[in-house]
Amino acid sequence: METPLVESRIKWASLLIGIGLLIQLGTLFRVHPLAFVGFVVVGCPLIGAGVLLYLWSLVPVKQKASEASQLSRMGNGWIP
Amino acid sequence: MPSTIVSVFIAITAATALLVGFRARWTRSREGKILAFVALCVLPVASMWGGFSEQMERAESTQFCLSCHVMTDFGQSLRVDDPSYIPAAHFQNNRVPRESACYTCHTDYAMFGTFTAKLRGLRHLQVEYFGTIPKPEEIKLYTPYNNRECLHCHLGARHFEEASGHHKTPGLLQSVKSGQKSCLSSGCHDIVHEVGSLKDAAFWNEKK
Repeated sequence: METPLVESRIKWASLLIGIGLLIQLGTLFRVHPLAFVGFVVVGCPLIGAGVLLYLWSLVPVKQKASEASQLSRMGNGWIP
Repeated sequence: MPSTIVSVFIAITAATALLVGFRARWTRSREGKILAFVALCVLPVASMWGGFSEQMERAESTQFCLSCHVMTDFGQSLRVDDPSYIPAAHFQNNRVPRESACYTCHTDYAMFGTFTAKLRGLRHLQVEYFGTIPKPEEIKLYTPYNNRECLHCHLGARHFEEASGHHKTPGLLQSVKSGQKSCLSSGCHDIVHEVGSLKDAAFWNEKK
């Protein structure tokens, strides 16, 4: 079964956010300028990208016919 | 302790975000959509904010500043057993908070002081890892030390305003306050870190 585009974006968003947060978590174990830079330069952009990707997934997209019928069978379409 | 709370919060947020990602089909239901919004937007932004303020607070700590090897001598200079060393006298007598001693005297108390300091910090990191590290005694301030940083605490204090040394000549105090005469380089309080002469110095053994 093909994964709907929205779910695919959510997966990628969660992956980016998860990695970003784990990096941020790692930087909190050391008091060092490199930890600060890692937090700001690597962790924050990853989380920011993930959040933006998630928000983008909320924007209505034109569905493929097969995807639309699949979702309508499930009784809950993604597209408003 | 705030660090522990922030760490746990970030860990929970990461777990929730990854869980929603691996179970993306949950988001087909209304409750799932709400969960996704919380897990992928609200909690990550809150975590980022919490982590950022924690990092900013850490960046003010003496431990943070002294974590680069080249700063070790400057840290040692805070423990010189000689009150004429201005940083040592401030550190040992708690005139500055010991846990943020460097930051207290070396931040610019101006609108973009913290931001400028962070940009300079990036440059220092670049030199530390990719450049030629100067000897401690070769490290100089970017700009002459501004009296403003001293006056931030001392202005209005009786010990400062009424000190006999500050009234040696008419108008001396006023010229110090206006920044015309430097506190450090005017021959009055000119012994600062002096890292070049630390090998001959005696150090204070703090009794715990």
